[in-house]
Amino acid sequence: MRSLWIFLAVLFIHWGFSLAKFDEFEDGDDIVEYDDNDFAEFEDITEDVTTESPQRIITTEDDEEEATVELEGHDENQEDFDDADAQEGDTESEPYDDEEFEGYEEKTDASPSKSKDPITIVDVPAHLQNSWESYYMEILMVTGLLAYIMNYIIGKNKNNRLAQAWFNTHRELLESNFALVGDDGTNKEAISTGKLNQENEHIYNLWCSGRVCCEGMLIQLKFLKRQDLLNVLARMMRPACDQVQIKVTMNDEDMDTYVFAVGTRKALVRLQKEMQDLSEFCSDKPKSGAKYGLPESLAILSEMGEITEGMMDTKMVHFLTHYADKIESVHFSDQFSGPKLMQEEGQPLKLPDTKRTLLFTFNVPGSGNTSPKDMEALLPLMNMVIYSIDKAKKFRLNREGKQKADKNRARVEENFLKLTHVQRQEAAQSRREEKKRAEKERIMNEEDPEKQRRLEEAALRREQKKLEKKQMKMKQIKVKAM
Amino acid sequence: MSSNSMADPRRPNKVLRYKPPSTENNPTLEDPTPDYMNLLGMIFSMCGLMLKLKWCAWIAVYCSFISFANSRSSEDTKQMMSSFMLSISAVVMSYLQNPQPMSPPW
Repeated sequence: MRSLWIFLAVLFIHWGFSLAKFDEFEDGDDIVEYDDNDFAEFEDITEDVTTESPQRIITTEDDEEEATVELEGHDENQEDFDDADAQEGDTESEPYDDEEFEGYEEKTDASPSKSKDPITIVDVPAHLQNSWESYYMEILMVTGLLAYIMNYIIGKNKNNRLAQAWFNTHRELLESNFALVGDDGTNKEAISTGKLNQENEHIYNLWCSGRVCCEGMLIQLKFLKRQDLLNVLARMMRPACDQVQIKVTMNDEDMDTYVFAVGTRKALVRLQKEMQDLSEFCSDKPKSGAKYGLPESLAILSEMGEITEGMMDTKMVHFLTHYADKIESVHFSDQFSGPKLMQEEGQPLKLPDTKRTLLFTFNVPGSGNTSPKDMEALLPLMNMVIYSIDKAKKFRLNREGKQKADKNRARVEENFLKLTHVQRQEAAQSRREEKKRAEKERIMNEEDPEKQRRLEEAALRREQKKLEKKQMKMKQIKVKAM
Repeated sequence: MSSNSMADPRRPNKVLRYKPPSTENNPTLEDPTPDYMNLLGMIFSMCGLMLKLKWCAWIAVYCSFISFANSRSSEDTKQMMSSFMLSISAVVMSYLQNPQPMSPPW
């Protein structure tokens, strides 16, 4: 790729030089014609007619040039006349001897008027000029591309360094907590790769597994797109942060049923709108955490008060207060199924699968201008994650809380079923019709008339049975109603 | 360093393998930039080739660069290379047919 650019650049340079040579010739021609006029001074005035014609040829190009040439010719004639007649005396060396110069002056008057044809000087258009400077747009474009490539390399390396710095800081903690640190899913055996998976030039993954309480933990380092120049320029208008997203999948028996979130108010409002479980179970607006000793910047979304009480113990409050600037959101849920799905057919026909998860989103300090040293500031947050995992296992709702939680879940499921009732009915109806059609086709395709008759009879009998059943049901309902 | 200082919390027998999150279920999580840029690049390079517009061809080169920078590592390199080649061929063809420099729109 690079060699191609160099080749093209060299090609342009050669082209420019070869065309520039022609310029010199044009200048040379003008000088030659000036020389002719120098010699014209030695000729008689009568011969000035002939000298004027070469002058006229020159003057078609430029009025100014013609004027200077005329003057020069005039002056030169003057001088030589003076020199030749210097010996003759003063009277004859007077400049304006009218008799001598009558005809000449007329002619000098005549020729300027003749050459005052309407000739407009037009600038030579850029695309006909044969100089390298006329390609400035192309040079700009190539410079822009080179700048983009430079930025790509620099951004990619920076992101890589940040990721490595993060991993080096956190490696010890992770390895002491998880049996498997780093897995890309491709190896046959479950061996720790001890490396981050690079998904992108700005996203790095790490999968840790093999611990009590949790199935596994997926850490995503979502850096800013430093490798894309457009993104870098956009970020100058709107500052953004690098983020670390941690998703811990809990075992079913190790987490009770609750939905809880704490974070910045803006983040919680957004999560409440986007996340399926938060929107269904935590219908209230995010409440301020000041009651529990949290700073003003943090708010709480909870399914019920008891959960908040249980979660906000001293150590958690300590974590949240000290590192509030780095915490974007913390979300514990047993009904986590990801963001709300927008499907074209309306509602999905069955509830999405839920998983007990703990989600953490942390902002890397530096708001864009991070250095590898800033990664060390995130280590205490990882301690908080580990603490939360153990806490989630220990925290159990009391009986009332459990009942409330179960009621909530039943309510949500019922709502969902109601909404989709119509669709499910339609789906069942269409399935039944399909079956009937398949049956009929089979009967029609049956060539043996005997078999056909038998199949038809069987179908009729089945229909009758169904009708009878329905009638029985209606009777039963009527009896119950009475 | 573990919170449970008494016992090692690690359980090698409970190791689960990594499963890349399936992107079919949540298309919102995917970044559409590389696909859009790829498409734009192809459109611009076709415009540049057919209509002999130099600026179209240059924009196509930029689009394919942007698409490359934003692409996921799992994506096909063949697609990237083909869009690169197409945009560069559009630029070269426009200049071969008409070697005059581009004129700015102002």
